[in-house]
Amino acid sequence: MTVTLTIDDNQVIAEKGLTILEVAKRSEITIPTLCHIAGTVSENPCEICAVQIAEAEKYGLKSSLSTEGLFRACVTLAKEGMEIHTGSDDVIAHRQERLAILSQTHFGDCKAPCNLTCPGQINVQGYIAHVAKGEYEEALRLVMDRNPVPFSVGRVCPRFCETRCRRILIDEPVSINHLKRFVADWCMANNIDLAIPKDKPTGKRIAVIGGGPAGLSAAFFLTRKGHDVTIFESEPKLGGALRYGFPEYKVPKEILDYEINAILKMGINIRLSQRWGKDFSLQDLNDMGYDATFIAVGAGIDQPMDVPCTDKGHVYTATEFLYLINEGKPLELGKRAAVIGGNNIAMEVARSLRRNGVEQVTVIYPRARIEMPANQRNIKEAEKEGVQFLLMASPVGICGLSENESRLKLDLIRMKLGEPDKRGKREPLPIPDSTNSLSVDTVVSSLGQLAVDGSVTGGALEESIKISPKGMFVANPRSSQTSVDGVFAGGDAATGSKSVIQAVVSARRAANNIHSYVMDVPKDPADNRFNFTRGKSFDDVALKNFDGINVKLREKMPERPPEVCVQDFDEVKLGFTEKMAHREAERCLSCGCTAFERCDLKRLDIDFQVNINKTGMGKIPWYPIDSDHRAIRVDRNKCIYCMRCVRSCEYDALELKVQSLDPMGRPLGLEIIFNENCVSCGKCVDNCSTGALNKKNRIVPIQSEVVQDIRTTCPYCGTGCQIDLKVKGKTILEVTADSDAIPNFGDLCVKGRFGHNFIQHPDRLKTPMIRWHKDGVLEPATWEQALDFMAGSFARILGEYGADALAGLSSARCTTEENYAFQKFFRVAIGTNNVDHCARY
Amino acid sequence: MTGLVTVLGSGAMTNTIEGVVDNDVLLVIGSNTTETHPVIGVRMRRAVKKGAKLIVADPRKIGLTDDAALWLRQRPGTDGALINALCHVILREGLEDAAYIKERTENFKAFKESVSECTPQWAEQITGVAAVDIEQAAKLYAGAERAGIYYTMGITQHTSGTDNVCALANLALLTGNLGKHGAGLNPLRGQNNVQGASDMGCNPVFYPGYQRVDDEGHQQKFEELWGTPLSPEPGLTATEMPAAIHEGKLKGLWIMGENPVLSDPNSAHVSEAFKHLDILVVQDIFLTETAEIADVVLPAASFAEKDGTFTNTERRVQRVRKAVPPPGSALDDLTIINQVSARMIGNGRQKANDAAATFDEITKTWVAMAGMDYDRLESESLQWPCPERNHPGTPVLHENGFPRGKALFSAITWNGPDELPDEEYPLVLSTGRILYQYHTGTMTRRSEVLEESAPSPYVEMNPADAEILSLEEGETVQASTRRGQITLPVRITDRVYKGMVFMPFHYKEAAANLLTNDALDPVCKIPEAKVCAIKIEKVEDVSA
Repeated sequence: MTVTLTIDDNQVIAEKGLTILEVAKRSEITIPTLCHIAGTVSENPCEICAVQIAEAEKYGLKSSLSTEGLFRACVTLAKEGMEIHTGSDDVIAHRQERLAILSQTHFGDCKAPCNLTCPGQINVQGYIAHVAKGEYEEALRLVMDRNPVPFSVGRVCPRFCETRCRRILIDEPVSINHLKRFVADWCMANNIDLAIPKDKPTGKRIAVIGGGPAGLSAAFFLTRKGHDVTIFESEPKLGGALRYGFPEYKVPKEILDYEINAILKMGINIRLSQRWGKDFSLQDLNDMGYDATFIAVGAGIDQPMDVPCTDKGHVYTATEFLYLINEGKPLELGKRAAVIGGNNIAMEVARSLRRNGVEQVTVIYPRARIEMPANQRNIKEAEKEGVQFLLMASPVGICGLSENESRLKLDLIRMKLGEPDKRGKREPLPIPDSTNSLSVDTVVSSLGQLAVDGSVTGGALEESIKISPKGMFVANPRSSQTSVDGVFAGGDAATGSKSVIQAVVSARRAANNIHSYVMDVPKDPADNRFNFTRGKSFDDVALKNFDGINVKLREKMPERPPEVCVQDFDEVKLGFTEKMAHREAERCLSCGCTAFERCDLKRLDIDFQVNINKTGMGKIPWYPIDSDHRAIRVDRNKCIYCMRCVRSCEYDALELKVQSLDPMGRPLGLEIIFNENCVSCGKCVDNCSTGALNKKNRIVPIQSEVVQDIRTTCPYCGTGCQIDLKVKGKTILEVTADSDAIPNFGDLCVKGRFGHNFIQHPDRLKTPMIRWHKDGVLEPATWEQALDFMAGSFARILGEYGADALAGLSSARCTTEENYAFQKFFRVAIGTNNVDHCARY
Repeated sequence: MTGLVTVLGSGAMTNTIEGVVDNDVLLVIGSNTTETHPVIGVRMRRAVKKGAKLIVADPRKIGLTDDAALWLRQRPGTDGALINALCHVILREGLEDAAYIKERTENFKAFKESVSECTPQWAEQITGVAAVDIEQAAKLYAGAERAGIYYTMGITQHTSGTDNVCALANLALLTGNLGKHGAGLNPLRGQNNVQGASDMGCNPVFYPGYQRVDDEGHQQKFEELWGTPLSPEPGLTATEMPAAIHEGKLKGLWIMGENPVLSDPNSAHVSEAFKHLDILVVQDIFLTETAEIADVVLPAASFAEKDGTFTNTERRVQRVRKAVPPPGSALDDLTIINQVSARMIGNGRQKANDAAATFDEITKTWVAMAGMDYDRLESESLQWPCPERNHPGTPVLHENGFPRGKALFSAITWNGPDELPDEEYPLVLSTGRILYQYHTGTMTRRSEVLEESAPSPYVEMNPADAEILSLEEGETVQASTRRGQITLPVRITDRVYKGMVFMPFHYKEAAANLLTNDALDPVCKIPEAKVCAIKIEKVEDVSA
C-alpha cells in the first residue's frame, strides 16, 4: 500500500502509514528538527519540523501550531494527494520564531573569547587542552593548522588572545603564548616530525616574492593544497622580518632556522639572493609558467626623517640598523644614542643599542607614553633594560660636533597636543621657543615603514601595479588581488607594519584566494561569526560563572635579569618547563563549547538566519556544571529541553525533571539525573541537540579545522558495531555511532564510545625489542635486527627439528586479512599446520 | 565451532542481530548478554518489550534475569543435562516439528533414544532447576513460532563444550527453529574477529573456509592456489601447545595479538612452558604479560591504525579503516607477516600484498566470500555466504538446506565437569566478563572511563557462604584451587547461589586464570574455564 504526494513540488511515492518526516527522509528531503528521535513521540515538541499542508482540512487536519496551515511533520501522517511545502515563508517564519524562543535561554560560549580575539582564529582552547594532557605534538599540530611559524609567534606575539581571557575575572589571564612557545620548543627538542599532510599535486605553480613571515606562510598553506611553490628571496637567507627585524635575544637564529626548515620540509622551492626588479620581473615569472604570484616583500623601507641633518655619519634608519645588528656587523655606536619614534621596531632598536654598549639610550616621541604605538609590554621591557623615554618632544635638527665628547647634537622641540579634530584626534604641535638639545653619538630613526618607495620597477607589469599613497601594495582585502591579474599581495607589503600573526593571517587568506583563483573553485567559506556568548565584554559576564573556581596565579616565565641581558644578545625569556606548562594549561577555564560541531541549535540558528544578538540569548548561569558522572559532563544552562536524551536512552537511565515551564514552554528548575540504570553507553550525548550533555574526555573544541569522520568497526566484542572515529591530526577526538548504520543503528556500549583512549596511551609499544640471550633483558632494536633474529631462529629450528617444531598463535583481535596471511605463512613458508587462535568453538 | 560444523556443516551464528527483536521466545543460556554483548542485550530487551518471552538459563543472577519470563538457575557445568531434559519434555508432549525433522534432519531415532531417560526429575537432581520450570521452559520454547537460542562461553568453555553445542542444535532442530528469520542457533562471538580468524583457518585442522587439511581434495586445491606442497597432518591446538613444549617437540612460537599468560586457564603452567621455548616472538600493541617473557617483541598497529576487515558474530564482513598512523615505528600485522615471510622464503614466492589484495586472494579460496571485494564493502557490509558479485549476502543460514545436506541430530550423554567441589575445595568457581572491562584489560584498563568504572578485581560470594566464613563486604580473601591462589576482596551478593563464587578474569593483580582448570574438551580442545573447585579463606590482617 502506497500513497502518492508532493513535497516541495516533487512527486513522492511512499509506504502508507508513515509520517511526513519519515517520508521526506526516505526521499532525501531534509526537514529540520531539534527533538525528534525515531520511534518516539516528543512530549515537548520543538515545532521546528513544521511544514505547510495545502488544504489541510481535506485530510481532517487541524493545526495545533500558532500559524494556520502548519503541521508538525513528525506526527502528521502522509496522505494520498497531499501537497506539502517545507520551505514556504510561513514555515520559515515559524521556525525562526521557535528557534529564537529556544535560543533565548540557551546560555554558554560557542567559541572561547581567546579564539575569537586571535587574528589567526587559532584553536587556543584546543591546544591548551592538549598541553594539559601532555599531548604536545598534537598541540603543535593544532597550532600549525593555522600558524606555520609558532616558534616566532610564541616569542613575539602581542597576545591579543590573553587580553580577553575570562580568567582575568578571577585572577590573571592564562599565559597562552608561553604555552605555544613551549609546545614548539618541546617538539624541536624531541625531534618531532609533524609530517603535515599535503593534498594531491594540482600541477599549479605559484611564485612567492619574499621569504618573510607572510611569504613563508603563504608557501606553507599553498603547498598543503598541493601546489608547487617557489619562494624568491632577495637576501641570501630566508626569514625576512623574523631574521632581520627581530634581534637574536627575541628570536634566536637557531630557532628561526629550525622553524623555516620545518616549513621547507613540506617540499618548497627556494631561490635566494633574487631581487625583484633587478634579477627578475613579474613578466619573467609569467614566462616561467607560474600560474599566480604572491607579493610578500614586507615593509622594509623606512620613512625618512624630515629634519635637517649636517652629519649623516652616525644616523641610521631602524631597518638598516637592525639589519646590520642581525648580520653582526661591527658598529661604532659611542656611549649615548637617541631613538626617534615610538613603535615596536624602535623598542628593538633601543634594546639592541643597549646590548652594543651604549650606556644611555633615549627614545624620543612627540606624544604621551600611553599613545606610543609600541606594545606596552615591549616598552616596559625596554625600560627594565635602562632605556629612557623623552616624551612630548620632536627632533628639529641634527648637526655634527667635531670637538666635543659627543659626536652629534640633536635639536629638539617640546610638543603639546592641539585641539581635537573632527574625529577627536589631537595632533601634537610644537611649543614655540621651547627648543633644547641632546648630545649623542648615534641617532636611529624609526618612523614607520613602507613597502615601496615611489614606484616598483622591473617592467610594464610592475609599472601598472597600484601603490597606495602610504607606500603599500593595494590589494583587495577580500580577494587579496592587486591591480594586476594573477598577482596577489599580503602581509606587511599590503597592510603596513603589523604583528607576525597578522602577516600569517593575511597570507593564509591570500593562499585561499590564490588556490581558488588557480583552481577556479569557490573559496573556502570564512568562519561564521555566529556565536552564543556568556558575555561579550567583561562587564557582561556574570561572576556567578566562576563560582567554585579558586585563585591560581599564572606561572611566571623564567627570565634572565635585565642587567645581565644587556650584556649580550642571548634570549631573555627562557621558556616554561614541562611542569610549568602543565600547571599553566590547567588554569584554562575551557570556555568554548566542545559540542561546537554537533550543536543542532547553532546549526539551525545559522541556517535560518536567526540573529540571536537581537532576539536574545541566555545571560546568566542558572545552574552549576555537573561533573559527577564518570563519563559525561552536564551543563543544564545549555539545555533546550528537547528531551532527546531521555527518549534515546535504552536503559531508562535518565530523568529530566522541571519545577514548571515558562509561558514559552521552556523549563524552570531543571534537573538532569542519571539513575542507577546508567551503563555509561553515552548514546544520550550523541543525541543531545546542544552541548548540555558532553563527553568528559572530549577536550578539543573544533571550529572550522578539518575533522575526518572515519567509519570503522569496534574492536571489542563480536557484535561488530559500526563506529565513527572523529579524527583531527593524529588525535581521535571522540567516537560516535550513526543511527542509520547496520548492525547497531547508533547504539554502542561504554567500551564502544569511551574505550579507545588506549590507542594513544604512552605505554604503546613503539619499537621492536630483542632479548639477545635467554637470561638477558629485552632491549630496543631496529626492525631489521628483530626480523633477522626471528627469521634466523625459525630457519635454524626448521633445519634442526623440522616444520612441526614451530607454531603460531593468531588472534581474534586481528583482521581477517592478517589471520589469512598468518596461517598461510605457517602452512607455506614453514610447512606446518601448527597454527591456531583462541576460539575454536 | 567444531560442534556446529559437525551437525550442520557450518559453524556460525545462523541468524542476525537485527532479527533478535522478532523472536517470540529467546533462550539465553550461558551468556550474560547485557554485559558481554550490550548492544545485542538491548535488542533482547526490545524483543521483551514487544511481547517476546525470555528464558534465561544461568547459574548467576545476571542483568537479563530481571526481564525473563523464566529463569533456570542451573549449576555450572550441568547445561547438557538441562538441554537434554528440555528435549525430553518436547518429545514427551509431542511438541516437536515432525515435518521438519523428517524433511531436513537425520539420526533422529538415536537422538530420541538418547534423551528418553532425561526426565525433568532426573535433570532436577543434576542441575538444581525445579522439574516444573524445565517443563514450562520446554513448552514455552517449543510453543513459539520463532524461537532463538543465544549462547556464549558459558556453554562452550567446558570439557563438555562440544556436547553442549550439539545438544542446543538438537533443541533447535527438534522444533524447526533453524533456517527461518527471528529464530536460530546463535553463538555470540566474544571478540571482534573470532569469526574472521576461524573463517581464515587459523586452526590446526582447517584451511580457510573450513576446508580440512587432511582432506585430499582440499589439500590439492590449496597446493594449487599457493603453489607449494602442504602438510596433510593436523597441527597442534593452542591448548595442546604447552604440553608439546614440555615434551621438547615445539621449539619456536610466534604469538600475534594474544596474551595467553593471562587469558589461558591454569596460566602459570602456560608461562612456565613458554620459558622452555628456543624462541618466543610476541607481536602486540602493549608489553603484555606474555610479551614480557618473549625473546622478540614486535610493536603492532591497533585497529584504528590499519585497513582490513572484521567479520562479526552474524557473519557480516565489515571494513576496518585506518584513522591515525601507528605510534613510533610500529607496523600493522600484515606488513610484519609479509616481511617475515619475505625473509623465510624470499620475495618471489609469496608476494607482499596489502589488505585489499590479500582480501582478493581470500575470496579465491572460499566460495562463501567469493562475491565480496573492497569496492562492495565500501558502501555495504555483506554476510557470508556471498558466492557471487551480484549476491546480496545471506542474513539467515540454512533457509533452503544445510551445507552437509541434512542436519545431524546428536545423541549426547551428559558428563559432569572435570572437577567438582569436594571437602578440600568446597565451592564452585565460575569466571566471566564484566561490562566495563575486556579480556586481560590491555585496552580497557588504559581507557580512563572504563578503568574508573571498574578498577579492581573481586570475588562474588553468596551471603550464606560469607556468613560461614564470617566475611564482611569488601574484606580480602584468599582464593585457592589445585592450580594456584590469589587474594582479592569479596563482594557479598545473591547474584551467585550458595556454594558458588564468581570472578571477572580481567585483572592481572588477581588473575582468575591462575585458578581455572585447563582440562580440555576431547573434541575441540577448549579448556574448562567456567567451572572448577575452589576454596575461599579469610585473610588475617597481618599489618594489624
